[in-house]
Amino acid sequence: MSDITLKNKELAAWRIAAYVFMAIFTFLTVGPLFWLSYSSFKPHVDIIHNMFAFPTGLFLGNYVRAWTIGKLGGLILNSVFYSFFATIITVYLALGAGYGFSKFGFRISKWFYTFFIMGLLITAHSVLVPLFVMETRVNIDDTRLGVLIPYIGFGLPFMVYLATSYIKGIPTSLEEAALIDGAGYLQIYWRIIRPMSQPVVATMLIFAFLSNWNEFVFVFVLTSRQEIRSLPVGVNAFVGGLSRDFGLLFAALVIATIPMIVFYIFFRDQLMKGFAAGSLKE
Amino acid sequence: MTISRDKKISYAILTLPSVLIYASVIVFPVLFSVLLGFTEWSGFGTPVFNGLANYRRMLADGVFLHGLRNNLLIVAVSVFGQIPFGFLLAYIIYRGLVKWGNFFQTMIFLPITVSAIVVAKLWNQIFSPAGMFTALVRVIRDDPRFVFAVFENRTFSITPVLFVILWYYTGIYMVIFLANLQKISPTVIEAAIVDGAREHQILFQVVLPQMTNILFTTSVFAIAGSLKSFDLVFAMTGGGPANYTTVIAIYMYLNTFKYYNYGFGSAVSVMIVVLSLGMISVIQAVFRRFEEKYE
Repeated sequence: MSDITLKNKELAAWRIAAYVFMAIFTFLTVGPLFWLSYSSFKPHVDIIHNMFAFPTGLFLGNYVRAWTIGKLGGLILNSVFYSFFATIITVYLALGAGYGFSKFGFRISKWFYTFFIMGLLITAHSVLVPLFVMETRVNIDDTRLGVLIPYIGFGLPFMVYLATSYIKGIPTSLEEAALIDGAGYLQIYWRIIRPMSQPVVATMLIFAFLSNWNEFVFVFVLTSRQEIRSLPVGVNAFVGGLSRDFGLLFAALVIATIPMIVFYIFFRDQLMKGFAAGSLKE
Repeated sequence: MTISRDKKISYAILTLPSVLIYASVIVFPVLFSVLLGFTEWSGFGTPVFNGLANYRRMLADGVFLHGLRNNLLIVAVSVFGQIPFGFLLAYIIYRGLVKWGNFFQTMIFLPITVSAIVVAKLWNQIFSPAGMFTALVRVIRDDPRFVFAVFENRTFSITPVLFVILWYYTGIYMVIFLANLQKISPTVIEAAIVDGAREHQILFQVVLPQMTNILFTTSVFAIAGSLKSFDLVFAMTGGGPANYTTVIAIYMYLNTFKYYNYGFGSAVSVMIVVLSLGMISVIQAVFRRFEEKYE
């Protein structure tokens, strides 16, 4: 009897500790973001006057000014352009490579694959100097193409890893049947492998889109024209000198955050899968 | 024969575009970088071979060493902060110790979607002398003259950065651990409960031993990620004031693109890769020893 009450008491203690821990962590996580959001509706003077008070009215001046002075619309369009094309190209190239590496049985596949996996350890900084020099030589520095290519190259290792390990698990029987029916390998890729990889493709697309959207250093180093810069780089430059106007600063940060929050609302599960995928061994 | 040829051509079409882009954006530049690291070059003319001079200069430079120290602190916060916190959060949700686990998970993971630049600028305001933290302490301590000025202290100016790193990335580890916890067969835990196991026994004797592999993987992620941290620190402090909060990647960036020492910058970037490979092999050795003991 007493053993069970002791156990129940213990479990209750665990639950209380768990709630406290969770609540503190969640509050610390969401609190600053929440504070940022409501403060962005206050003019600078009000923020200085009382940093925690809720806005008294719906003051939109910060947003109007941030949008026009920061030219955030153009930056968002650029980010959409880079993220969209880099993501689509990376994912479909990686899927093709994954099919080649996992199903063709060529010995060179192992080499290629190991090569790609090693790329997971390489940081953007290890290639910045040569990349910058190379791009200047072939005259694609400070162009959209010059941004897209490194985005794709750096997205590939992880995407190839995801695609290869998934396609390995697709049974070969369908593929063999199609071969007997006279289908070519490329047809098999498009008609059989691609549809059957739908779950992993979804994870890949969403994960790659998030990483491309938040990518900073390539655009920062490889471009200098304001018209082709992405949202993180543009916001970094715009917001850099705004310590004198918190309202404007906050509005710019909120605008830069909203697209991904919307994205998160729709694709939360896929995103989490992408982050977990690298650690799960099937 | 024709089939085999068709197969080879298809293989080339499927794999070569990826291989070529990857080779030209990563493999070739990395090799190029290693070579440049042994030269002095300002971006114009021909690089001049200077042996190990860059590496010697780096190791004798106090700024580099301070950056390395900051990087090691980031590694420590990642391995001993993010991983245990992430694991605990995941464990609480997995065992259903709280209701609304899904809600908590969504909220704690949320910062990951926010760009590092936004995170950096937000916390920069919070920790600035005129920022929210100063205001908060003034209210709590009822001391209207308090000013949070940790950035003026060489030893401690990195602490706000460390805090933000913990804040920003713990959610990733929570999600990774949760995915791996969910792979443990529920019957194992049910059996332990039937046998009268208590919560701490389930945690330490049933769950944790099955997590050694994933603890290793996450440690590797944490180390590799910590040594390349750039965006967040760069946008938050720029390495300043007076290089107090610099990290190796910022040191590399400034030397290359501000002072135009391309050779030296390349040597620093090679150093980042060497350091992360070195630390990952140490971790590997530790885990191997640990596994041997356990078995």
